[in-house]
Amino acid sequence: MLLEQLSGNLIQGIILGAVYGMATMGLSLIFGVLKVVNVGHGAFIMVGAFVTLWLFNALGINPIIALPGAFVIGMGLGLIFYYTTMQRLIKAPELATLLATFSIGILLEELVKLIFGSEFRGYNWVVGKIDIGVTVLPLSKLYACIGSVIIALLLYLWFKKTRAGSAIRSVVEDSEGARVCGVNVGGAYALSFALGIGLTVSSGVLLTMFIPVGINPYMGGGYTLKAFVIAVLGGLSSPYGAFFGGLVFGLIENGSYTLFALIPGVEPFALTRFLSFVILLAILLIKPTGLLSTK
Amino acid sequence: MKRNYLKTAMIFFACFGFLLATNALAAPKKIVIGHPACLSGKYAKAGEQAIGGVKACIDWVNNVYGGVQVAGKKLPLAYKYYDCESKKEAVTSLIARLITVNKVNVVFSAYSSGLTLRGAPVAESHGMLYMDHGGANNKIFRQGFKYIVQTIGPATNYHQGTLNMIQKVDPKAKKVALAYEDSEFAKMVMHGAEGHAKKLGFNVVFKRTYPKGVTDLTPLLSALKASKPDFIIGGGHFEDGQLFNRQMADLDIDVKALSLIAAATLPAFYKALTSMAEGVMGPSHWEYGVKYSVEEAKKVGLNWIGPDQDEFVALFKKALGKEIIPDYHAAEAGAQVLAYVLAVEKADSLDTRKVRAALGDLTFMSFYGGWDVDDTGLQVGHSMVDVQWQMGKRIIVWPKEAQTGDVAYPMPTFAEKARGKVALPR
Repeated sequence: MLLEQLSGNLIQGIILGAVYGMATMGLSLIFGVLKVVNVGHGAFIMVGAFVTLWLFNALGINPIIALPGAFVIGMGLGLIFYYTTMQRLIKAPELATLLATFSIGILLEELVKLIFGSEFRGYNWVVGKIDIGVTVLPLSKLYACIGSVIIALLLYLWFKKTRAGSAIRSVVEDSEGARVCGVNVGGAYALSFALGIGLTVSSGVLLTMFIPVGINPYMGGGYTLKAFVIAVLGGLSSPYGAFFGGLVFGLIENGSYTLFALIPGVEPFALTRFLSFVILLAILLIKPTGLLSTK
Repeated sequence: MKRNYLKTAMIFFACFGFLLATNALAAPKKIVIGHPACLSGKYAKAGEQAIGGVKACIDWVNNVYGGVQVAGKKLPLAYKYYDCESKKEAVTSLIARLITVNKVNVVFSAYSSGLTLRGAPVAESHGMLYMDHGGANNKIFRQGFKYIVQTIGPATNYHQGTLNMIQKVDPKAKKVALAYEDSEFAKMVMHGAEGHAKKLGFNVVFKRTYPKGVTDLTPLLSALKASKPDFIIGGGHFEDGQLFNRQMADLDIDVKALSLIAAATLPAFYKALTSMAEGVMGPSHWEYGVKYSVEEAKKVGLNWIGPDQDEFVALFKKALGKEIIPDYHAAEAGAQVLAYVLAVEKADSLDTRKVRAALGDLTFMSFYGGWDVDDTGLQVGHSMVDVQWQMGKRIIVWPKEAQTGDVAYPMPTFAEKARGKVALPR
């Protein structure tokens, strides 16, 4: 029975972890290129969740089809916020960018609240389930996991195989050198910010496929905290590291629950969170560049 | 010349002093209710309902009842509220502001046990009457506060009716699972439910909590599933209630009954979960359709005050300017206005101590039901009802004397719900 529960939870953990990883890639990309910590990260996830909700409830569009739409909306938002705010703050002290992204997050939350209200919403996309013996997997969760893996792979290929991807990598290595070689550094910054926000908004779609309820303007706060833990686990400036960090986090969160439940008199959930942060602290002490960083 | 200056100055100070004295002695022209309301943040939904309920009953008191009779005069009620953003630190500063700057006569608490408890010492330190319509935790009333009075029912009673009902409709159902949010309020509900379940002979096969703000309950629900309960009671607040129901559906956890506190009774619950919410129950302090009336009050020997149910609904819609039916958050806040009005009239004074003493002796019935508090201020006169989603509608299924329909038991399985089966009584 215990083994069955543990394996069931680990499978659920991998699926959730892939989505968490995807939800963190945008944060890592923006930090990696622009050295900006986007503390409004969760608000962009929330935007993705509302895009899905609205498309599903108002137009009957299923979340898989909503995914590219959310990505385009995210890119658009990223470009707007880059050219109106972030561009002026790239060279400013870190506190300025922190406050700017924090303000953007609040702005988005209040804007969404103004349009949709503060109610906790949800949608009911019934696409079937698979019973694998140790646990039951709704297909919507599997689609979210597969979607996350595909997006991570596409991002990897885009960075490796395209000129724009190479340009961004060169800016990360040495922005002055890249400029001398003719790379449009400002453009690379704008594209990276837009891409990072696009990925984050898309992850909001995938997260609602995993958990299609609790959608509200303030839902992003919890995800921001998790994203920071995952980003540090994987190496803050590496989007791929963030993806694997997400998998590790999902496994820890789900797997440790079953083990902690064996200790009499304790509430396992409290300990799973405790363990996540202990691991985070340990990594910061032992390998501050992140678990999967090559530096 | 010097004498004239002195004379003028003396006349000026005498006039000024007279004005001050008359101002201090003048009878108040209105009675002001202060409220750190949750207009935004996580309790915004409940906060909006509470504001609508208060405004509706103030409207009734001022325009139908004719104002509050105190010291031979009829005084109108006024309402001063600020948005506390559902935050503890804002609650404390706003209560201090309402008392010292706005000079309110009574403070209504914010929503939730945590926010209510946080504001209580501030009101207490100013000797201000503090009326609680949103904090159900019994612990609030064990702190020795003198000026707090509760309208919402205590947390320990929330699931007692549900357990009584299941024992009545299915004596064979013995295994109950308890899974509540790790909050003061929800743990108090769990404590009351566990004690009552054991008293009724149920076997508690699972008992765990989950943290506030949880985004995935899969590990807890997998363990719960393994305990094979006959029915589940639990929850905490609205967001986790939605998640609980949804992930039970994801994991195919089929039980005969599911009752969730705070979430299952709200229309947004069904709107978010649609067919997956069929048959799900929840305890409620008040529900549209309850049968409290002047006649019912006479039967049980209580005085009646306030609008009837339909009048209240109409006033609520007018107050918010929205076509929505009020829920229990609105009703309890509205009933609290009526309790305060009766207490002021009974005390014939606005003095906090006198009004608090009058509230202690007060019993009455309104559209919200009975009202009575014990010596600590804890509500003991109000009974809860159990509501179930049947064909997309909320039906009061317990207690028998309040029900608007029979309970659908057992509820359909999640696979049946996915195929479109609705909950219907057998």
